[in-house]
Amino acid sequence: MSLLSNAGALLGKELRTEFRSRELLTTTMVFILVIIVLFSFTFDPTSSESRRFGPGLLWLAFLFAASLMLQPCFLREQTNDTLSALRLSVDDPFAIFLAKLCANTLFLLFTELLMLPLFAVLYNVSILPAFHWLLLVLFLGSMGVSLAGTALSAISAQARMRELLLPLLLLPLLTPILVASTEVTVGLLDRNPYMQWKGVGFLATFDLVFLTVLWLFGEYLLEE
Amino acid sequence: MKNLNSVFAAYMIGWAVFFVFYLSVAKRTSALREEVERLKNSLKPGK
Amino acid sequence: MMWKRAIGGGAVLALVGMSAWANFFIAPTERTMGLIQRIFYFHAASAWAGMTAFSVCFVASLLYVWRRLQKWDSLAVSAAEVGLAFITVVLITGPIWAHPVWGIWWTWDARLTSTFVLWLLYLSYLLLRTLIEEPDRRALLSALFGIFAFLDVPLVFGAIRWWRTQHPAPVIMGGPGSGLEPTMRMVFFFSVFAMHALMALLIVERYQLEKLRTEFDVVRREAEAL
Repeated sequence: MSLLSNAGALLGKELRTEFRSRELLTTTMVFILVIIVLFSFTFDPTSSESRRFGPGLLWLAFLFAASLMLQPCFLREQTNDTLSALRLSVDDPFAIFLAKLCANTLFLLFTELLMLPLFAVLYNVSILPAFHWLLLVLFLGSMGVSLAGTALSAISAQARMRELLLPLLLLPLLTPILVASTEVTVGLLDRNPYMQWKGVGFLATFDLVFLTVLWLFGEYLLEE
Repeated sequence: MKNLNSVFAAYMIGWAVFFVFYLSVAKRTSALREEVERLKNSLKPGK
Repeated sequence: MMWKRAIGGGAVLALVGMSAWANFFIAPTERTMGLIQRIFYFHAASAWAGMTAFSVCFVASLLYVWRRLQKWDSLAVSAAEVGLAFITVVLITGPIWAHPVWGIWWTWDARLTSTFVLWLLYLSYLLLRTLIEEPDRRALLSALFGIFAFLDVPLVFGAIRWWRTQHPAPVIMGGPGSGLEPTMRMVFFFSVFAMHALMALLIVERYQLEKLRTEFDVVRREAEAL
């Protein structure tokens, strides 16, 4: 399929660009680390308290980090007007979005997976028993963040005050992701881990809805 | 009657919000109407 | 034209007045909460009207993306502003109800919390519009955000309600179990009708302002061209 091969090629470009400098990934990871450390001052991180507050703070950290990490997504295409070149190179503009979506999801997942063991150590929570389920939640949650974030990044890149605008638009929109991810993670980090499929259902629904919306309206986000 | 103040406050504040909104729209509309008239008049003699 | 508007405005005012009268004198007093419950008619009817306004914004946004006619953008922003006004009333009357009943102003109750997020979403919509200068660009991008925001709303309400079932808390204005006695239901639906009439009036007024603004831009561009 032309769409997938185009998207694949563009995804390769996105990954190569980032791994050449790695500045986005490293900055994001350090930012998450800073938030995690600062959060430790806001409550007493005993084991039971950490299990109660930890997941929420972790996901908040991911969300804040993502709202900063997604800024350059379309901004960097503006410097040399590479967006026009991209648009000419593909038949379906959705390929551009698909590529950026996958790239952003992968970047987010990468930073989250690196931060997770650190979080486990610093807050005395066990992530191993339910690790495979945690992976699922991280994946669905990150995809949701990436879906909404990529779309909104395209919007805010064309407005003033874009550094403040993107988090402002993105964070309320991501409420379902924050609520559902946190709640499911709470269950998975419990002393007797349990899975809440309804929460996973919300995540999957959010992802499906926004993937469809992006597929239907993505090209208008890229209009000149 | 218990809580009469609260019920009264709720209705009054609620209506105040709508009233203020309506007033703001009406004020902006009449101000803009004047501006449009002024501009239109400044165009006519010039032509 | 002015006559029609005046009559319409008067009719809406009469409706709102009548519904308020019904809220106080026709609806029976609620058994447990007493007088304070009467805020419900105003609070919930405003919520419904606000959601209708946002639905109008959604449809207008879709129509703009599809047709690219200025009038749809004008309708979208008008409906969004009016919707925000109604939701503001919901967020104010909720705590005024909660305080005498629960002793606290806010309980992060599922519906009120979701309404708060809804309020933030559409506030962001209006803020986004102020940050884009070019009219066509502003119309398109805000229409797209308007579409995203509206589709997000059921997800927000659903997720928060699910979360609240895991972590129960005081519910404002009675939970899903509390039903309405027949007279109350009648009064409530009349309030809903009156609030929708008010919503329609406010949207029409705001839309006229927006139409005038578009005309102003055209005339000003002509003047600058000279």
